[in-house]
Amino acid sequence: MSYWRAAGLNYVNYSNIAAKVVRRVLKPELQANAAKRDETHVKFTPWVKGKPSNEKA
Amino acid sequence: MMMISKPTTMVVCLKGAATGQQQNRNMATLKQISMRLKSVTNIQKITQSMKMVSAAKYARAERELRQARPYGEGVRAFFEKSGATEAVETGDDNKLIVAITSDRGLCGAVHTNVAKTIRNELSNESVESPQSKVFCVGDKSRALLQRLYAQNIAVVANEVGRKPPTFLDASKVANELVQLNFNSGKIVFNRFKTVVSYQTEEVPLLSAKTMLAAPKLQLYDSIDQGVMESYQEFTVAALLYYTMKESACSEQSSRMTAMDNASKNAAEMIGKLTLTFNRTRQAVITRELIEIISGAAALE
Repeated sequence: MSYWRAAGLNYVNYSNIAAKVVRRVLKPELQANAAKRDETHVKFTPWVKGKPSNEKA
Repeated sequence: MMMISKPTTMVVCLKGAATGQQQNRNMATLKQISMRLKSVTNIQKITQSMKMVSAAKYARAERELRQARPYGEGVRAFFEKSGATEAVETGDDNKLIVAITSDRGLCGAVHTNVAKTIRNELSNESVESPQSKVFCVGDKSRALLQRLYAQNIAVVANEVGRKPPTFLDASKVANELVQLNFNSGKIVFNRFKTVVSYQTEEVPLLSAKTMLAAPKLQLYDSIDQGVMESYQEFTVAALLYYTMKESACSEQSSRMTAMDNASKNAAEMIGKLTLTFNRTRQAVITRELIEIISGAAALE
């Protein structure tokens, strides 16, 4: 078992963190472009019994 | 008797109203026509600029899609070569369907097609005891599905479609998906074919167990439980990324066509309205001339 899985991460979390670190050490001219790939806006609403429940925003 | 006489009076009334309106429309509504003309021209301007915007967005989405395709195709090739297919359903009541749409409308039938595919799937099940869960990516799929299949909706993701999807978006969605603990699942999305065409397709989501049980797995070297687990987590995110890109691209191209059609229709309407406007104007002038001339003739 790999150390990151032991820490409770899954592969996607692990590789995203790695990607973030790589983006941070890029040269400045490349960094501006890479920053665009570093943002997310997706929001989630869990639904229970056919109604949205707002337990987490 | 009553039954027969009633409709005839109705018809007479309607006829009277219609002719009155007809006269009204021909004569005194010059201003109304010009107002209508102005609003249609404004609408045309809006649809034209929306077309320009979506054309620019489409160009970008297509460029990005070309880079994202290998992610999806790689995973699909693995599924195909290893012969990994969905587990044969034996009382399996934890299916998951992911609907890839966006928050934005005015783009033809892209979202409706996704919703229709899912609706067909769900119509085989009873409404009271939902068997499949639906994960809606984008407000549009939620709006289209919640009326009949609100019970099936598990999670809704919104704020999708304003900006092009990133891998981080996809991995956030993947994390939410994994928490639902599904046994088998699939993603329904629109695959982009050309600027004017797209096709609604589905890709399976497989669990690590089914992937390890694939019949032709020997083709691949050095696979153990851990590798497969990681790869399964990655396939979910990669497939989501790929399908989100495909559907973003189809959406923009479809919006481009829809807005182009809307502009064309508006142009047609403007033509017709200008014609009526000019006719009415001339009729008004003629009427006024007749009134003046006959008035003058009466004075002599």
